[in-house]
This record gives sequence, C-alpha cells and structure tokens, in this order.
Amino acid sequence: MNANEVVESYITDVALQLPRRQRNDVAFELSALLHEELQARAEAHGRPVDATMAIEFLTAFGRPVDVAARYRPQLTIIDPSDGHAFWRATVIGLILIWSLSLLQHLAAPMASGWDLLGVLSHWWGGTVIPSLWWPGLLVASFGTSAWVRRRWPHAPAWQPRARDRISGGRAALVATVLGIVCGLGLLIDPRGLLDLLFAGRAAPAAYEVLTYTDRFRQGPGPWLYALLAMNIPLYLTVIVMRRWPPVLRRAETALGLLTGAAMTWVLLDGPIFISPVSDRVAKILMALIIVMMLVNQGVALYRRVRPSPNQGS
Amino acid sequence: MTDVDAFAKLELELRRGVVVLATLSQLRTQRYGYELRQALAQQGMPIEEGTLYPLLRRLETQGLLSSEWKIADGPPRRYYVLNADGRTLLSRLSASWQGMNEAMGRLLREESP
Repeated sequence: MNANEVVESYITDVALQLPRRQRNDVAFELSALLHEELQARAEAHGRPVDATMAIEFLTAFGRPVDVAARYRPQLTIIDPSDGHAFWRATVIGLILIWSLSLLQHLAAPMASGWDLLGVLSHWWGGTVIPSLWWPGLLVASFGTSAWVRRRWPHAPAWQPRARDRISGGRAALVATVLGIVCGLGLLIDPRGLLDLLFAGRAAPAAYEVLTYTDRFRQGPGPWLYALLAMNIPLYLTVIVMRRWPPVLRRAETALGLLTGAAMTWVLLDGPIFISPVSDRVAKILMALIIVMMLVNQGVALYRRVRPSPNQGS
Repeated sequence: MTDVDAFAKLELELRRGVVVLATLSQLRTQRYGYELRQALAQQGMPIEEGTLYPLLRRLETQGLLSSEWKIADGPPRRYYVLNADGRTLLSRLSASWQGMNEAMGRLLREESP
C-alpha cells in the first residue's frame, strides 16, 4: 500500500461517517489538505512521502470516527449533569430486577447441582437479558428530559421547597388515610369483601380461601392491625397541621420500621391463611411490601442532607 | 492525577477556549485550511490539523464563514473568510476576550510574589 492509498483509505473512513450531502465535498477538501500536510512533513524530514509516514501522520490526526464527529455539532443524548443520576438509576434498577427474580427462581425445589445450573440458566435468559429494557427506558427518559431542557431552557426553573411540605398535598394524604381505612377493614375481615360483593351468596370455597388461621388471628395479626391503625391519627394530624413537623416525620419512620418488623414476624410465625395457595400469595405480597419499605427507608436515609464538616479535613 | 497530567488537561481546556477566537481572527482575509494553520502557528497559536479543518466546516455551518473552491492557481483549495455575522461575532468576542484578559492580568499580578 503506498501513501496515496493510505490517505484515500483514511478519507473514505472519515467520509462514511458524515451526512451524504456533505460527504464528497469534505472528502475532496480533506484529501487536498492531507496531501499538502504530508508534503510539508516530507520536506521537513528531507525524504519522500511513504506509507509509514502517512500512517504516522494520520494516527496523530485522529481516529476517522473522531475526526468525522468534529465536523458535526456535538450530539448529547444524556446531559453530563444527569450522568450520575442515570448511572445510579440503572444500577439500582438492575440489581432490584435481578435479585428479586433470582430469589423467585431459587425458591423452586432443586434436587441437584444440575437443577441449580438450569435455574441460573433460566434466570439469565428469562430475566437478565430481557432486563435491558430498563436502561433503554432510562436512556429514552433522560434523553427526552435533556431535549426538553434544551428546547425550552427556562421551563424547568428551580423552585424552593419547604422541608416540612406535604408531598402531593393534603389531598394525597386524605387519599392515603382512606386507603388505610379500607385496607385495614379488608385485612381484619377479608371474608366481608365476599359478603359485600356477593351479598353473602359466595361459594363456601371462596370463604375458605380467605379464612385466617387461628395462629395468625391470635398471634401477630392484632399487632399488625394496631400498627397500621396508628397511621390514621398520624396522617390526620399532618392534614390538620398542613405540614410535616420533624417529630411526626420521626414517628412515621418509627411506625414504618415497627410495621416492617411485625410483617416479618407474620412471615416467620407460620401460615396466615388456612388455604396454602392464599397463604403463599399473601406471603409473597408481604415480602414485597417489606422490601419496598426497606428500600424506601434506605432512599430516605441516603437522601438526607445534614450540612456538617467532614471529620479530619 | 499527577501534576503533569493536571497541567496538560487544564492547559488543553484553556487552549480549547481560544481556538475559535484565534481562528476567526485570521479569517478577516480569505485563507484555505493549510494556509490558516501555518498563519496561526507562525503567530504562536498552533492548532492540530484534526481540530482546525473540521472547525472551519462547523463555523461555516453556523453561518459565520463563507467559502468557495478555487482551482485557478495550483491544486483545488477551499477558501474561507468571515461573512457579516462572523465579523460581528469576532468583534464581540474580541471585546469580551480583552476584558477577561485584563481581569486575569490583574488577578495574576496580585497573586505573584
């Protein structure tokens, strides 16, 4: 390969990365400039242009894809200011998806190491690979957000937020209280739902499916009901005060942790429903709620800001 | 990061900040890419070929330069020159640069022993 062929190969690789309307003109100009640069370099070194000199020069000039990128305005899909948030959301989301699915897969009965390999293989093909939808969704979301910020630069202006504000407003809290009241009623008497829906004419099997064990009703059940019920006066107080005073925030955290502990007790204590299927479904749902509560507490702890100097600095 | 790395990185950022202004300043008269690079280098502002040549196209796309092919004397060359918008921008950037340069001069004099 001689120097001319090296240069032409380089120019082709640059031009292929450019828009069609610009490609040939840039290639023509670049060819003239590169030959002139090479000629000047050869004269400076006192020897004719050869392939080695051309390759050295073009290596210093830059990779074709980089040079081509410089011909066009910079395209940023995710703003650099969003880089850390994107990375954090990607990693946390993937860890959650993978670990929850792995737990579910490992819960299946296994007789040998081959079964374990089969489960892992199924987990890899059924969860890990398809889970790439999550980073894809994040790229689309962050990209759209960045585009909106560039398109309307003054739209998302920063607004101060009071520390004791009620997220979603008082209406959201009223809805929460109503949800707790209904949920608590359902939890205390799930069979009452059947009476409500079917006017007492539901099949006996349906009642059996929603029947608690005595162990649950006389053990952790009442404690769980009481802890859930304590949320009602807490939220009502916040609704009346129109803000979240720090003491009520601490009470909410403590109540949340106690509720999580009571749920764990329920999980470990024994059957909740006399029907094995209902019991399994209820325990899976309860385990998910515990995980969500822990994640929520973890996020709140992580996001807490208490300005103070670093020790030792 | 070593001191050498830090210096190289920060100096590169400084140079990047002035590349456009330096380029515009030398395009009050028509020049083609290689000639422009030589002119900048002779005045103490060498700019890598891989940076300068694409930059000329970008400035033209932004509507700051006009260009034309000339094939009369020697090999075909694409010549660039400031248009009206480019001249206005150069004037504003020059004033801004002078202001910053004077401020930096004062700041650095205060810091020197």
